[in-house]
Amino acid sequence: MFEKSLYDLIRGLRNHKGNEKEYIQNCLKECRSEIKSQDMDVKATALLKIIYLEMNGHDMSWASFHVLEVMSSPKYHQKRVGYLGAVQSFKTDTEVLMLATNLLKKDLSASSPIVISLPIAALPHIITPSLALSVLADLLPRLSHSHSAIRKKTIVTLYRLALVYPETLRAAWPKIKERLMDKHEDPSVTAAIVNVVCELGWRRPQDFLPLAPRLFELLVDGGNNWMAIKLIKLFATLTPLEPRLVRKLLPPLTDLIRTTPAMSLLYECINGIIQGGILGDSEDDGREEIASLCVSKLRGMITFNGDANLKYVALLAFNRIVVTHPFLVAQQEDVIMECIDSEDITIRIKALDLVQGMVSSDNLVSIVSRLMRQLKTSTNPNNDQLDDLSTDSSEEMGAERRSRKRDEAPPLPEDYTIDVIGRILKMCSQNNYSSVVDFDWYIDVLTQLIRIAPASRKEVDSDGMALRPKSTTADISESIGNELRNVAVKVKAVRAAAIRAAELIIAKLSMETTSHQVISGSLKPVAWIAGEYAYLLSNPSDTLNHLLQLIPRIRPSEVLATCLQASMKLFALIAGNDQTYWTAERKSMISLLMARVIHTYEPLVLHPSLEVQERAVEFTELLKLTAEAASAQASSTNELEQDPPLLLTQAIPSLFQGWELNSVAVGAQLNVPMPEGLDLDEPIHPNLSSLLAQADSLMLPIQEDDEFSAYYNEKAAPTSISSEPAINRLRDAPETTSGSYQQATEDSYLDADIIARRKAERAERNRDDPFYIGDLGSPSRSQGTSTPIHNILQNENGPDLDIDSIPIMKLDLGAISSFGVGGAPGTPQRSKAPKSRPQIVVAADETLVGSRPSTPRTGSQHDSDADPSSASAKSRAARKLKQSLLQVDSSHLRNLSLEASHSEDAAGGALPHEKLAETDAEMAKAMKEVQRLRLEMQRANERIHVAQGVPTEGVVVKSKKKKEGKKAKSKSKSEEDGAGAGEDEKEKKVVKKKKKKKAETEAAKGGEGEGALVGGEGEGEAVVTVKKKEKEKVKKKKPKRIIQLGDEDAGAGARAEAGEL
Amino acid sequence: MINAFLVFNGQGQPRLTKFYTQLDTSIQQRLISEIFTLVANRPKGSCNFLPLPPLLAASSTSTSSSEPHNDVPSLVTYRNYATLYFIIISTSTESPLALIDLIQVYVESLDRLFENVCELDLIFNFETLHATLGEMIVGGVVIETNMEKIVQGVRAQGTVAKRPVNESRGGGMGLGSGLGAGLGMGGNFVWSGR
Repeated sequence: MFEKSLYDLIRGLRNHKGNEKEYIQNCLKECRSEIKSQDMDVKATALLKIIYLEMNGHDMSWASFHVLEVMSSPKYHQKRVGYLGAVQSFKTDTEVLMLATNLLKKDLSASSPIVISLPIAALPHIITPSLALSVLADLLPRLSHSHSAIRKKTIVTLYRLALVYPETLRAAWPKIKERLMDKHEDPSVTAAIVNVVCELGWRRPQDFLPLAPRLFELLVDGGNNWMAIKLIKLFATLTPLEPRLVRKLLPPLTDLIRTTPAMSLLYECINGIIQGGILGDSEDDGREEIASLCVSKLRGMITFNGDANLKYVALLAFNRIVVTHPFLVAQQEDVIMECIDSEDITIRIKALDLVQGMVSSDNLVSIVSRLMRQLKTSTNPNNDQLDDLSTDSSEEMGAERRSRKRDEAPPLPEDYTIDVIGRILKMCSQNNYSSVVDFDWYIDVLTQLIRIAPASRKEVDSDGMALRPKSTTADISESIGNELRNVAVKVKAVRAAAIRAAELIIAKLSMETTSHQVISGSLKPVAWIAGEYAYLLSNPSDTLNHLLQLIPRIRPSEVLATCLQASMKLFALIAGNDQTYWTAERKSMISLLMARVIHTYEPLVLHPSLEVQERAVEFTELLKLTAEAASAQASSTNELEQDPPLLLTQAIPSLFQGWELNSVAVGAQLNVPMPEGLDLDEPIHPNLSSLLAQADSLMLPIQEDDEFSAYYNEKAAPTSISSEPAINRLRDAPETTSGSYQQATEDSYLDADIIARRKAERAERNRDDPFYIGDLGSPSRSQGTSTPIHNILQNENGPDLDIDSIPIMKLDLGAISSFGVGGAPGTPQRSKAPKSRPQIVVAADETLVGSRPSTPRTGSQHDSDADPSSASAKSRAARKLKQSLLQVDSSHLRNLSLEASHSEDAAGGALPHEKLAETDAEMAKAMKEVQRLRLEMQRANERIHVAQGVPTEGVVVKSKKKKEGKKAKSKSKSEEDGAGAGEDEKEKKVVKKKKKKKAETEAAKGGEGEGALVGGEGEGEAVVTVKKKEKEKVKKKKPKRIIQLGDEDAGAGARAEAGEL
Repeated sequence: MINAFLVFNGQGQPRLTKFYTQLDTSIQQRLISEIFTLVANRPKGSCNFLPLPPLLAASSTSTSSSEPHNDVPSLVTYRNYATLYFIIISTSTESPLALIDLIQVYVESLDRLFENVCELDLIFNFETLHATLGEMIVGGVVIETNMEKIVQGVRAQGTVAKRPVNESRGGGMGLGSGLGAGLGMGGNFVWSGR
């Protein structure tokens, strides 16, 4: 047999370019057999190869037992491989970990320092609370090992132990502290301690205040930059607790800032000053000075030529400052804005973070326009590309497009585009639009954004392959649309403008990509506004046409439902006009329109989504009735005037008339009291299941019904059928000619001009119309304002005056009206009460007042309103946090007080691991007794007379497995082989009961050997008491472990060890 | 603390993976490939910090609104030497600039150990890579930044194997330049008395 070395494996890999997969599979197969070899060298080599393959993505968890075997090798170079395998592949739930405990303990007390450092370095990777508990006693003495390398590693390992088992610190901290205080300690050990203290520091700063003098000393004459950085970071967490430290720290920090040649240290000094809150806002001259020194240095870093890293860290620092000292950062706006245009995405994102923090009504427009420009210029090439491919809409194409974009290194990746759009929306809408002065501008921005957003549509396209949770990518354009809707609802003054924007958006959507599914999420909110405020549309019938064209191309059911509703509202508006006469012309126009609407709705009658289906069915039936009525109603002639059918003018419009909708606070729903007698647990129908069963059996008749209704429908709209396709064709024609993406982009490219033009127009209009606001807003407010004054007012406190309805309605009627928020004269209603109708009071309000004290909603209260849910949201977030990848959970540590531990130590309280030793000793005694008794019984049973010297460990195994163990030993040999081979292939731990038994039988047989290896590691009866505990653990776990053993190679491994030992 | 230390080459093939918290092999690979995509698309002259890869971003953005959490990996630092990328994933408690220098120390130590280290050395001696890293970082905490001591610590564990003789440098591998060439980029950071 010639086994491959790692070298051969790698060479082979390189020589098998192209069919590596097959080669690796072969190698893995070889390794699997090699690793079972008796020869430790072969075993270790095989393991090394497996570890190498693991790095390339081939799972090695199946080999964990062999890892353990190699770890226990007496030869260092093999042991090292074993430990490497453990570090790379063991998880805290790896079952053989239980068996490793004694090995770790043994190696921790080895004489060779290089052997000792193996378990020390491995422990952080595999540590569990119970493991920590049992190795702690062996690890602690290593803190005073003669080799500094061992000491420093031990310190870090103790820290990792403390993360999972905080009690560690109680025992270890006094010793670590002693090391830290020792001035003759090796500097690298001191540095390691400082690193650990720094890690602990931000979790429990108060415990480290007493160390401050020593740390200060180290900072001043440490000479190690890495340590100095850590110390500064540590001090930054300490200063908030001990303000007196600041005075001490400032001189050395300023000194360092001025003198250090190391940029990293310089940066951390500044950062430390910021984080430590040293900047302060006191009038102290020294601080003033240091603040300006810091900011100027940071500014220097950003402008410093060509070093992107400095730019990045300076932005990081600014991001910290902006929370407390926004004015300091605002002074640096110019350089920061430049970073937004950096070609480096990382820097851009940081700059964006920053900008988001410093946005105000003064700079909002300039910031947003800068971002918009960036988006626009970068999306143009994308759109070109889109244009090329817009004909194929399949999902693969989407994916391909994405990948192609990647290859070409697009100016802006879509994630970034989405991110930027999201931030723009956030910046503008924060604090209930307090920063937005000019809402017309904002609407234009939104319109523009919807055009820019196509990137997000691709995201939806390829949702299947997107790794991110859907919510983040779901649809940025939907949130843009939502913004538009919010503006339309909240800001009455610009509602008309918002509606016109919506109109344009709908028109544009219906134009683009004729065969394409409409996926832009903006359609839903936009269609809703168009329907809700249909009376403000400049051309309702066009919009209705567009919507009707869009409906067949919409896939998501919520959007579809919204569009159905919206188109019906539009129809109601168009047809419901009772002022005009029922002329022949109008009659044919209306019936044509109705036929179209019915035609569009009809396919949706069978839509799988109930929301859609219900609406479609209702509206179709209603329209059919109306159509009958309309055709029955003779048109007015010159002699006789006819009224339009009442169904058209009264019934349908009344469906959609009601109180104006206002936005409701996030938590408002919680304020609604539970109606008495409402029992949600009560079944809707006592016999629901039989009803459902009936419904199932009724399926067929229902279908027949549908056929019938289809037949009926065809009859009902005979006139329309011939004309319909023609209309469609008419509608289609402009789309194909003008609906290309190219033009769309040009549009958006020119939008700046459009904005300018529209602004000019609007300004013009406003100048002429002193009642501009009054017309759209509540008339009471605009009375008596002359134009110039009004303009001034609008400019000065536009947000307050304009946005009369911005305060989101709380349900608390009394509070709001008494505060008179934002001049809203209305009484807040449940959701349907317009402000202009204060006389309408929904009775339920009064009961709501008592239910929860709620405050009037003002701009600044945006967040506090969400309070009821925010607490739970926070906790949810916290929980999520714990699950975050790669994260080390340190939350346990927070509950441990080192201070307490000092006093306890002084009182001489026994440390937990010492207590453990005591109880273990007792336990061990008892266990020994029990074992002896069992042993005797068992022996009597089996009638096997064994000499008294049988190791107890082995017997322990047996005692657990007594029943199975009694199975005939004679046949176990053959069975063992069979089971071993059979289960070998299985890999997975799905072991059937039967096999378990088998495995256990074998294990029982091989028990002596294995037990000795695992439980004993060579120790005899004279075990130190603490170790007994381990044995017990091992015992408990045994059944499980053996099953796993059986998985791999049943008794084979056990036998191997038995031999080895 | 440091959450992971990765080395991969220009094709995204891992040369060293060390995660200081345990991850499934498949997730490790996904993370590596995500980071590789990010790294490979960096324009010239960008900074040495990456935006969070989607796998990590998903977990951290959910909490970005509240105070920064020091436990969450939030910083991905990379450095490119010849054909290799060195990556450190860390929490925000680490100093970004110092991490760049830490990578530098690592590479210089390797260079010291192998004498003109090149990718081949790393491929065939990945145990030494681990050993060297183990002398610098234990359990995600930096224990040593002094190159002398690192090299000394690795050497104490046994002789460092040289690259195989018949695998001539650069022969057919196009790696002639070696990593040593990249070592000139101590760059803008002067670390006196590390």
